[in-house]
Amino acid sequence: MPGEKKTLRVSFERSGGFAGITMKRAVDEKDLAPDEVQKLHQLVEEADFFNLPDKIIPRSPQPDRFQYELSLEKSGRRHKVTVSEEALPEKLIPLIKWLMEKVRQARKGKESP
Amino acid sequence: MRPVGYMGIHSIIPPYMLEEIAKRGKPHQRDWALRNLALAGFIRGQRFALGILASVAPVGHKSRTVYDCKHNDGEPPVGTLVRKEGDPPSKDIAVNEAYDGAGATYDLYDDIYERNSIDNRGMSLVSFVHYDVNYDNAFWDGSEMVYGDGDGEIFDRFTKCIDVIGHELTHGVTQYEANLAYSNQPGALNESMSDVFGSLVKQRTLKQTAAKADWLIGAGLLMPNIHGKALRSMKAPGTAYDDPVLGKDPQPATMKDYVHTTSDNGGVHINSGIPNHAFYLAAMKIGGNTWTKAGKIWYIALRDRLRSRSNFAGAASATISVAKDLYGNGSKEMKAIRNAWKAVGVI
Repeated sequence: MPGEKKTLRVSFERSGGFAGITMKRAVDEKDLAPDEVQKLHQLVEEADFFNLPDKIIPRSPQPDRFQYELSLEKSGRRHKVTVSEEALPEKLIPLIKWLMEKVRQARKGKESP
Repeated sequence: MRPVGYMGIHSIIPPYMLEEIAKRGKPHQRDWALRNLALAGFIRGQRFALGILASVAPVGHKSRTVYDCKHNDGEPPVGTLVRKEGDPPSKDIAVNEAYDGAGATYDLYDDIYERNSIDNRGMSLVSFVHYDVNYDNAFWDGSEMVYGDGDGEIFDRFTKCIDVIGHELTHGVTQYEANLAYSNQPGALNESMSDVFGSLVKQRTLKQTAAKADWLIGAGLLMPNIHGKALRSMKAPGTAYDDPVLGKDPQPATMKDYVHTTSDNGGVHINSGIPNHAFYLAAMKIGGNTWTKAGKIWYIALRDRLRSRSNFAGAASATISVAKDLYGNGSKEMKAIRNAWKAVGVI
């Protein structure tokens, strides 16, 4: 199914922080509006996501910082990156911010059913 | 959440150069060099770093400064000095909370455990408030405390709770002593030490005995519309909140429910429930003001017995042996601590 293979899917998780409350969100491009699909592809491209190391975690992580985990599936490729907040590569920050906004939107949905 | 790129991971400046800067640089350069050495793992606590630290002039007494980030982020944080030791209160409540909480934490360590600040050499207590925008967190960055204002939807401002402040400063104490590695069991012990002494700062400030204390961490930090009384409960881990949006408090109370995960550096904020509950059980059995006996035993274990890779069983034997040394073999205190670690399934 070549059509399906092109679909970009992201699973995102923020864990840790002082509160230790995990927030998760899965995003599939088939559920997004066309302008959002374009934005997501652009953010993934700019992050050079598929070339990032699997783990970007300092030898001595700072206590109570967030830890992010992103899994991406695109055109049959898969890649998972685990990264500490204090070690975030600059080019990955816009994608993280976009995904955190998706977490917030999903939360709003739960608050007002 | 501004980045440091990969600098924090593989510093391009070799450690011997950082040591030179730490010895001979201007004050801000020394701080920077020491932080980088600490991040790179070259400073493994005061016991291992006296040679370097001896060159950094300690203040030698309680010395607090509070900086306002004005909602800027940054690694390290940047801000304007808004209150220093002896200054009158600010109009900004977060500034005063950071100042007072740092003072109460300094006093607990100084008055009760005869420890002069985080490094036991009078290090200044530096706090940054109003970090970033809607930042729902507080952390210790290796040399200073950083507080966000919360998102106003789930979290209130992080300076609101004095136990949060004691928690962050204790991360500093741990860094200078046992230097518990921040992952899996050593990381959960690191977190638990911060909850223990954070709670003791609160209990001592409120003049509460073990029986009177609420044993909650972050009570009042969740906004009123969230179903939860706090972020963690040392008395009953797993019961602090249960909310349709946030989910349920995931903390286990015993080893039977230990959570194996790669999230949160191996569940450091989750499995801390187990040593937290052991401390609670021991403190309740011993009774009275918790900081006097149980707190002292935990402090000496952290200072003298635990190592970077210590696990829960290591903490159990360390605290039991300290109790034996302080109060005698077979003493009530020693039995209370042994029974507490047994009750949570660690021994």
